[in-house]
Amino acid sequence: MTDSHLTRRTLLRYGAYGAGAAALAGTAASWDRLTGADIPGRDDGSLVVATLGPAYGPEAIRTLTEGFKQVHPDIKLRINAVQAVDWSDFFAKILTQIAAGTAPDLVYVATEGVQLFAQRLGVPLDRWVKRDAEELREYFADVHPSLVESMMYEGSLYQLPVEFNAADMYLNTQVLKRAGADFPAADWTRDDFTALLRDMKQSSGSQFTPYFWTNRLWGGVVPWLFANDTNLLTESKAPGGTWLWDSFYPADRRQGRGGGFRWTTPQATDARVEEAYDYLASLIQEGLCTRPEGGNGQNLIGVFSTGRVGVTPAGGFWAGGLHLAGMKADGFDVQYFPRWRSQRMQYGAAGYALLRTSKKQEEAWEFIKYAARRDTLTRLFTTNQTTPARRSMLTADRYRESGPAHWQVFYDTLDKFPDTGPIPAPPQVAEVEQVLLKHTGTALASRRAVAPALRRMQSDLEKAMERDV
Amino acid sequence: MNLSRTRYSLAPWARIAGLAVCALLTLGPVIWTISTSLRTPAESFDLPPKIIPTDPTMESYRGVFDQIDVWLLALNSTLVTALIAVGQMITAGLAGYAFARLEFRFKKPLFGLVLATMMVPLQVTIVPVFLVLKSMGLTDTLLGLIIPAFPTAFGTFLMRQYFLGMPKDLGEAAMLDGCGPWRIFRSVYAPLAAPGLAIVGVLAFNYHWNEFFRPLILETSGQNYTLPLGLVSLQGNLGTGSISVVLAGVVLSMIPAVVVFVVGQRPLREGITSAGVNR
Amino acid sequence: MTNTQIPAVRLKQPAAPPAAPPRPSARDRGTRLLATLFLAPTIVGIVVFTVVPIAGSVVLSLFHWNVIDDPSFAGAANYGEVFGDSTVLVSFRNTLVFMVFAVALQLLIALALALAVNGRMPVWLRSVFRSAFFFPLVLSAASISVVMKYLFNQDFGMVNWLLGLVGIAPVPWLTSENAAMATVILVYVWQQFGFSFLLFVGGLNNIPKEIHEAASLDGATGLRKHLNITLPLLSPTLLVASVVGIINALQVFEQPYVLTNGGPGDATRTVVMVIYESAFEQLRFGEASAVGVLLFVLIMAVTALQFRLSRRFVHYQ
Repeated sequence: MTDSHLTRRTLLRYGAYGAGAAALAGTAASWDRLTGADIPGRDDGSLVVATLGPAYGPEAIRTLTEGFKQVHPDIKLRINAVQAVDWSDFFAKILTQIAAGTAPDLVYVATEGVQLFAQRLGVPLDRWVKRDAEELREYFADVHPSLVESMMYEGSLYQLPVEFNAADMYLNTQVLKRAGADFPAADWTRDDFTALLRDMKQSSGSQFTPYFWTNRLWGGVVPWLFANDTNLLTESKAPGGTWLWDSFYPADRRQGRGGGFRWTTPQATDARVEEAYDYLASLIQEGLCTRPEGGNGQNLIGVFSTGRVGVTPAGGFWAGGLHLAGMKADGFDVQYFPRWRSQRMQYGAAGYALLRTSKKQEEAWEFIKYAARRDTLTRLFTTNQTTPARRSMLTADRYRESGPAHWQVFYDTLDKFPDTGPIPAPPQVAEVEQVLLKHTGTALASRRAVAPALRRMQSDLEKAMERDV
Repeated sequence: MNLSRTRYSLAPWARIAGLAVCALLTLGPVIWTISTSLRTPAESFDLPPKIIPTDPTMESYRGVFDQIDVWLLALNSTLVTALIAVGQMITAGLAGYAFARLEFRFKKPLFGLVLATMMVPLQVTIVPVFLVLKSMGLTDTLLGLIIPAFPTAFGTFLMRQYFLGMPKDLGEAAMLDGCGPWRIFRSVYAPLAAPGLAIVGVLAFNYHWNEFFRPLILETSGQNYTLPLGLVSLQGNLGTGSISVVLAGVVLSMIPAVVVFVVGQRPLREGITSAGVNR
Repeated sequence: MTNTQIPAVRLKQPAAPPAAPPRPSARDRGTRLLATLFLAPTIVGIVVFTVVPIAGSVVLSLFHWNVIDDPSFAGAANYGEVFGDSTVLVSFRNTLVFMVFAVALQLLIALALALAVNGRMPVWLRSVFRSAFFFPLVLSAASISVVMKYLFNQDFGMVNWLLGLVGIAPVPWLTSENAAMATVILVYVWQQFGFSFLLFVGGLNNIPKEIHEAASLDGATGLRKHLNITLPLLSPTLLVASVVGIINALQVFEQPYVLTNGGPGDATRTVVMVIYESAFEQLRFGEASAVGVLLFVLIMAVTALQFRLSRRFVHYQ
């Protein structure tokens, strides 16, 4: 008995020694991994670019890095794909890095954050744009002025847009066929839209809801506000910007452009805002529309591609998403958002913002130009995971395999409706977005809930806008 | 009285049937996850769901490997969890023993301090922790995730209970034999502590393998991401990722946790049990 | 063997003066040295990574700080803001409601299942059940919440489809103010009850068989036996399960964050979500810290209260 006890004890002891030794050896062997010393370009004076992780896979990063190396072999570059579920998550992480004093030089910023970064952290690109005007002429000729304007703040340009997504209507062709409905015309109205939803509902079974949408700033309630010719915050334009318009755009295209958008006074209790909410509440009540769910719209691809949903607002990024989900090119199509009081539509765009804290601003500018080049974007956007900001890249060829048939809609949303504008995103955007999502959830619980919820939204928005970010 | 006796004697099969229903409810979502990860995206929303996919496909799993660097993420996760587990076994083993079997000043307030850390939400301290790590040059390193996780309130509590559960006479006998405190620990109690330490290790692995918030805030370089963080990529830009691929990622990341659970199930069960028992 | 009651009971009591021996012997010095060495890693770690950060949070709660500019002293202004902010107040109410229902449900389910599993059945079956009930605990809360979001979707989720089979109309699980909190609680309890379950299984195993037999001889059966005999004997385990359960429930984050993002309205916004949002999304680190300090105080208070109550209700053998 004593013997077996001893052996077991000895065994245990040697086992423990062995485990300890293995742990030590493992730690020593992986020391570089543990301290991050094996990461190329770390602390070696590389230009650091932070991008949104889910949009930039390992492949995209390789493409960008290698392409840049060929153009600028002298500039060391490190691209950091920051993992985040959505833009506000992403900005949160960038700000943490800034707080820690480990800020990147360039940050990929969408409309949601353009003014926040411009106001507090960014460097205007004006002097470089003026200096390299000749080189950029081709870029601006290829990019819609509205996209450029959305990257301006108080007269200065802060980013060169490389991609955008407008909220258009995606329709499932199977569901259309089932309802015996035609593909809607480009100038369809809100009432046509309602009638279509009713037809779809009637011709389908119980596991079907005609219209699905996600409660978020981009593509949620806001496009309906735009269609009803109103906005969450009063919209006006900052003066200035003529330096850019005059040098890059012909007279007819620069007309009405200014120095960037200003979103100021909340108007959630505006009659037209209420009307838009009322309309959505009535759709929900009639069973034509899902209750808005929070989150990033992940349910959507699955339910749309399997014909459980007939119509949903989405941008060019969905062409790639549906293709990945196994949907055939003729299984869906896209049309403009329906007309109500106006047919103004809504988009979000993105580009690289240069941070004030950067000590490599010249190099960073070179990267900004490189990232906006046609060949760079062509290599980067191979799967239609977004809409390129360059018009010339939208070709029949690009959409042949993935669809949709009416791919022209993506860019025509800008070209044919020049008043189409960005989602309202003042520097206080994080709080504005939260207030919007929060009260939209309660407003649409029933039609009676709309007015009181909008009143609360108004007072919360007022508080948010008073705050100095 | 009579009635309740009848009910009681009826119980066995009804009880087992009830348990089976509960077990099914508990495992249902997991089964759905696995089966959906084996279906094509187009089938993923079929109702009634085909629990056994008619046409199982590993396509989604290939998708996971295409979209993220699974091996690097798994290496990082393994390093982080393994070292935290070993570290917690050491700190909890030592501290637990001190609290259970050694007499010293301020024992109670110190033990209170250790337990009180359980009550501090991570989100409250993450910014100051970030600044502390920065002053140590450990931001955006795996070590920055590992070192702060070494002290463990629950592990210390478990090990204290575990040592308290060992007969006191063993130590007293050794003391009469002239053994000093170190010898008593090393030769008498420490060898008996292995199962207790295993629990601490398994619990640490379980928790930190799935950890999301700290890596999210502390790691900025893609090369330093752990698996849960990497999986976010699968949701795709603006939620355009395929649900099957997302779930395949969930299933893949589940595997090591399940393996550790199966291997460590017995000590775990006994350990958690001992924590709640008054001796 | 009474020196090992549930330890934290003594947390709120003044530290007993150390029983200083008249003459410190070499052995005592050795013991103290050993204790110092053994405790050093844990205590140093806690001081550096918890105590100092908490102090940092308290200091930060007295400043306005948006990360970008230097902090500016605010005095108690952040606390004033917090108490005037309906979202913060609602989040505290939500968190308390969540805690009460989640912990109660978790303990009830765990206890019922533990008693059931403890009954007579084949050994292999018992181990299957035990594994099944524990299993959700090994999964990541964030991942499993993504899965649950699909299952609880009002229009396309499997839960409503199943209910539809028995003629129940679709429930807006995640999108109505009343149902959303219940759903978050359900999902949380689903994942967490395994822990209490194991505690109870262990506690039941430790109750000597003779006590049950004696009780049966006295004619106690079924529910009554459990209420009068099992439960009191299990009370120390119940205390640990509820303390750990409450501490965890007060810090709930992942489930509401993924499932509902706090909505609809503020219906499922918890305190920790508010901390995360105001700090990392709205850059109000001072206010976020103030909320954090209040939450910490609340957790301490609830835990202390529990131990105070436990002196009356917990029976030690």
